[in-house]
Amino acid sequence: MKKRVLMGVLAAGMMMALPMTAQAYDIDELQVNIWDNNQLAGLQQIADEWSEESGVKVTINVVDWDNYWTLLEAGASGGQMPDVFWMHSNTAQMYMENDLIYPLDDFIAEDDAIDLANYYDGIVELYKSDGVQYALPKDHDTIALLYNKAIFDKYGVEYPTDDWSWDDVLAAATAITEAGKDDGVYGYALNTSNNQDGWYNIVYDYGGQIITEDHKGTTIGSDEGKAGMEMVRKILEVAAPQTTVAETGTDSLFQSGLVGMITQGSWMINSFYKAENSADYAWALIPYGDANGNGACDEGERWSCYNGLGWAASHQVADPAAAYSLISYFCAEKGQKEQAELGVTMAGMKGVSEEFANAFPGMDVSAFTKAETDAQLYFRPYTRNTTVWEDALQQAGAFLDPWQNPSDPDLMASACDAAQMIIEDAIANE
Amino acid sequence: MLKNMSPKEKTEAKWGLLFVAPTMIGLIVLNFYPIFNTIYQSFCKTGDFGKGNTFVGLANYSKVLAAPETWQSLWNTIKYALIEVPFGIVIALILAVLLNKKVAGRSVYRTIFFLPMVCAPAAVAMVWKWLYNTQFGLLNNVFHTKVAWISDPNIAWISIGVIGVWSIIGYNMVLFIGGLQEIPGDYYEAASIDGANGFRQFFSITVPLLSPTTFFIVQTRIIGALTVFDLMFMVMDKTNVALKKVQSIVYLFYQYAFTNGNKGYGATLVVVLLVFIMIVTFILQQVEKRVVYHN
Repeated sequence: MKKRVLMGVLAAGMMMALPMTAQAYDIDELQVNIWDNNQLAGLQQIADEWSEESGVKVTINVVDWDNYWTLLEAGASGGQMPDVFWMHSNTAQMYMENDLIYPLDDFIAEDDAIDLANYYDGIVELYKSDGVQYALPKDHDTIALLYNKAIFDKYGVEYPTDDWSWDDVLAAATAITEAGKDDGVYGYALNTSNNQDGWYNIVYDYGGQIITEDHKGTTIGSDEGKAGMEMVRKILEVAAPQTTVAETGTDSLFQSGLVGMITQGSWMINSFYKAENSADYAWALIPYGDANGNGACDEGERWSCYNGLGWAASHQVADPAAAYSLISYFCAEKGQKEQAELGVTMAGMKGVSEEFANAFPGMDVSAFTKAETDAQLYFRPYTRNTTVWEDALQQAGAFLDPWQNPSDPDLMASACDAAQMIIEDAIANE
Repeated sequence: MLKNMSPKEKTEAKWGLLFVAPTMIGLIVLNFYPIFNTIYQSFCKTGDFGKGNTFVGLANYSKVLAAPETWQSLWNTIKYALIEVPFGIVIALILAVLLNKKVAGRSVYRTIFFLPMVCAPAAVAMVWKWLYNTQFGLLNNVFHTKVAWISDPNIAWISIGVIGVWSIIGYNMVLFIGGLQEIPGDYYEAASIDGANGFRQFFSITVPLLSPTTFFIVQTRIIGALTVFDLMFMVMDKTNVALKKVQSIVYLFYQYAFTNGNKGYGATLVVVLLVFIMIVTFILQQVEKRVVYHN
């Protein structure tokens, strides 16, 4: 609040000092909230271009993921939301149903730069409630396998290829963990919280579904779901122990050269690209699950989760036209291409992400764009209040138990049954 | 009542009310209204964003009281208090007595011990989180051990308690020094003449005459410790296996009210905590009458 007052005073001072230029909008500044610091520089650059055209300053605030939602919800209840902000599949429905996001239909209808047919369907659908479009697709993401070449070289293990199955990952992880015992190096690392970028994909490879397509149930407790989690369990047996990944984090372990392979999403490339030893890092296509055991990747055996953020405006934004203009600038072809070129993220618009593969000179990130054609994409599992079951699955009473003790197959199977119950209960209470 | 007042008294009363008004308004808006609203919410199935609350009577209470995690978290909170309060007080008292004497660099030491109080709790917790880290932590590297300080359910609650003690001794110490300076020097002089040694003086003069201060610290710290949240929240990842054995009741409240968006259930948890703190405070007040030495 203080900051706002201060900003207001500063802005007022500036306006008095400068002659008024062509000002199309009633406001001088838009407050934008995002949660990913890696994207700040690129987005600010695009926003500044819009500011030059519109004369409205854009201030982007980064709030970390956990606090972002606490803050946004408190702001929504108390009437202090940022003007423009990111929406996510976990919570979008709740915000839309309570009319806390500004409906964009009227603006979209008059805007030549936006045609919803050009965007990924899952993302457009996600931000639609009762036929009203509340947010425009900002981006989409895919998952790939990240490996440390130095570790593979040191222990004489072949690099992962785009043809690898999870069984190949398991074999390589086993070899590295055994050879690296004295150095404290593990072949793989996976936490219960690595869901979208981790074990969700393996469940889908084996035919299970975390949330069914109608968003009303799950098949995690089915034979297919259990087969997927059994594959996860085998990898966990040779992966870094759960206490280690919980304390240090899989990304930090990987960047410390203690882990050979992890899976990660395209939104995280920047943090590995800028890392000290990034020359050792390489990406491979997300592995497939050989569910039928024929040694080849068949239809339905390679899945990559995708998610797409939405650019949304607050229902009480002072100047909706200005907020929409900024959103439209981010989401129209020019902004989307720029976003991909700058390596911020892949586009929410279809067919403009090729440039993303070239955004990181010296690092081949084509595994992410390749996933769009070679893997089947499924939208990140969500229900009305996703966090309730998503958090519960990561903790004791669900998958934290087999993660602690991966040598026991029965424990993993019973955790799948527990997960089935948790999700069904959560949906029933929504 | 107003009729019996003289005009002068009336004016005084008006000014009196005017002067307490800022505090009163602050208390009502920031404390009383939220308290009653929280109690009201604990009887509701709350809707999203504070809209659409439906009255459900005692349903939240029966759920909260029947959940083992409520009692586990309450027990975790008590365990934390059992470390923070006694150790925080004993260590602070010893330091206060030592630093109340004329030692070289006294104010430097006082500043050093008080410093943790000035640091943001979140920053403190982040530093300790890495000190405790099993793989890269300073503790394990210095002692060449491989202890999972914050992941072993048997140790984690002590590790968290240690951070609490470390953070609070400076504050307790300053209060104790204040109390010590209230004790007249004559008593110690007389005791020396009678041949009492330092220990005897400490237990026969310092401890009883300091008891009002001690009691004040005990009472405020117990309440403070029972509402602990930030240490667990910052130090332990939510996939930490020891979390369920360490998380405090306020942590559980945060999880339900803010992460899961179930305000009614969260409100019920804090009302349960409020009742618990009231009982503890009541017992402490009874104890005060017997134990504390008043001049």
